[in-house]
Amino acid sequence: MAGIDVGGHGGKRATNHDIPLIPFIDFLLCLVAFLLVTAVWSQMARINADARVPGPPTSDPPEEQKKEKQLHVEMRGEHKFQLVWKEGSTVVNTIDVDRKKVNAGADEYRYPDLAAKIKEEWTKNGTHRAASDKKLDQAVLHTDNSTPFSDVIAVIDAIYTPQRDYDLGGKLKKFPAFNVTFAMN
Amino acid sequence: MSSEKALSRFHQAISVPGRQLMHKVPLAFVRKKVLGGGGRAVNQEIPLIPFIDFLLCIVLFLLASFSASGELPIDKNVKLPKAENVIDMTDAPIVAITGTQILVDGNPAGSTRAIIEANRLQKIDDLFARLKAKRDLWSQLNPGKPFPGVVVLQVDRKVPALVVKSVFQTAALGGFPNVSFMVGRLGGASSGGGGE
Repeated sequence: MAGIDVGGHGGKRATNHDIPLIPFIDFLLCLVAFLLVTAVWSQMARINADARVPGPPTSDPPEEQKKEKQLHVEMRGEHKFQLVWKEGSTVVNTIDVDRKKVNAGADEYRYPDLAAKIKEEWTKNGTHRAASDKKLDQAVLHTDNSTPFSDVIAVIDAIYTPQRDYDLGGKLKKFPAFNVTFAMN
Repeated sequence: MSSEKALSRFHQAISVPGRQLMHKVPLAFVRKKVLGGGGRAVNQEIPLIPFIDFLLCIVLFLLASFSASGELPIDKNVKLPKAENVIDMTDAPIVAITGTQILVDGNPAGSTRAIIEANRLQKIDDLFARLKAKRDLWSQLNPGKPFPGVVVLQVDRKVPALVVKSVFQTAALGGFPNVSFMVGRLGGASSGGGGE
C-alpha cells in the first residue's frame, strides 16, 4: 500500500495514512468499463445539398448576375445518365454516360463511370478552380419522382467525386468542386 | 596426568561434529546460495503507480469523449444509405422521413403516404410550421447572429425522391436552405462533402 508520511509524530491523531490502492484501482476499472459501454462510436456523416431560394426582400437592387455554366445531371433515363452543361437556358454540351451499377457492399452500389466522367468534365469545363475562390460550381440533379433515395445518394456521391483546394484562412483543404441542388420539376 | 584432570571438567565426552553447517547458517541469502536457489525470483511486484496513471489516462480520454445524450437519434424505421464523399455531422434540427411519416426531432410533422398519394411536389404545412418555429426560437435566443439555416434529413433508403424533394423544398421555404442528408460512411473516412 502506498502511504502518505507527513513526518510529524507529536499529535494525538495519527497523521500518516495509507491510501487504499486496491479499492481505488477497482473504482477506476469500474469507471473505465462504464465509459466504454456507454461510449458513442458514431459512423454517421452527412452529404450536403443546397436549396437556392431567394432571400428576404431588400431595398437594394439585385446585382447583375453573370450567367455561369451549370452541370445538369439527368438521371431519369433507364439505361444512361445525361450530363448537360448549360449557360442560363443555353445548352453548351451534352454527354451520355452508361448507367452501370457497381456493388459496394450489402444493398449498396455506386456509379464509378459517372463519377469518372463528372471528374473529367469538371477538369475541362469547371469555372471555380482557384483555392481563393469561395464559390463552387453548381450541379443540378434531375430525378424521377419514384426514384428511391439510395439511388439519389449514389448519384450525389458521384457528383461530389471531383475535389479542389479551398482556402480556409490560409489553410488549404480539399472540398468537392460541385454544390448540388435539386431540379424541382 | 594433568591432561586427564583438565578433561574431567566436561560432563560429556567430546565428539566429532556432524555435517550440520547449512542448517545453522543464519543469513537467508547465504542459505539460499548454499542450497542452490540462485535463480531468478518468481515473485514479482506489480508496478501499481504506472498502472494507476495508465487507468487515469483512459478515464480522462473516455470522459472527454463521453456524450451524455448518447448516439445521434436515428429513427428505428429509417435505414440510411451510405456514401464516400461525406463530411462530419453537425448539430442541427433533424427531420426523419420514414416510409409512413415525417418527424422533426422526433415529433410528427407530416405524412409520407399523403405526399405519395397526392403524386405531386408540395409544401408540407405541418413541417413548415415546426421548422419556422425552430428558426424563430433560434433568432430569439441568438439576437443579431446570422442564422446558419442547416437542417439534417434522415431519410430511409427506400423513400421516393418525390417525398425527399417536397421536404427539401419545405425546409428551404421554412428558412433552412442548407440541407444535409445523413448517411453512413462507405469505406474509409473522407474529409470531403458538400459546400458549406
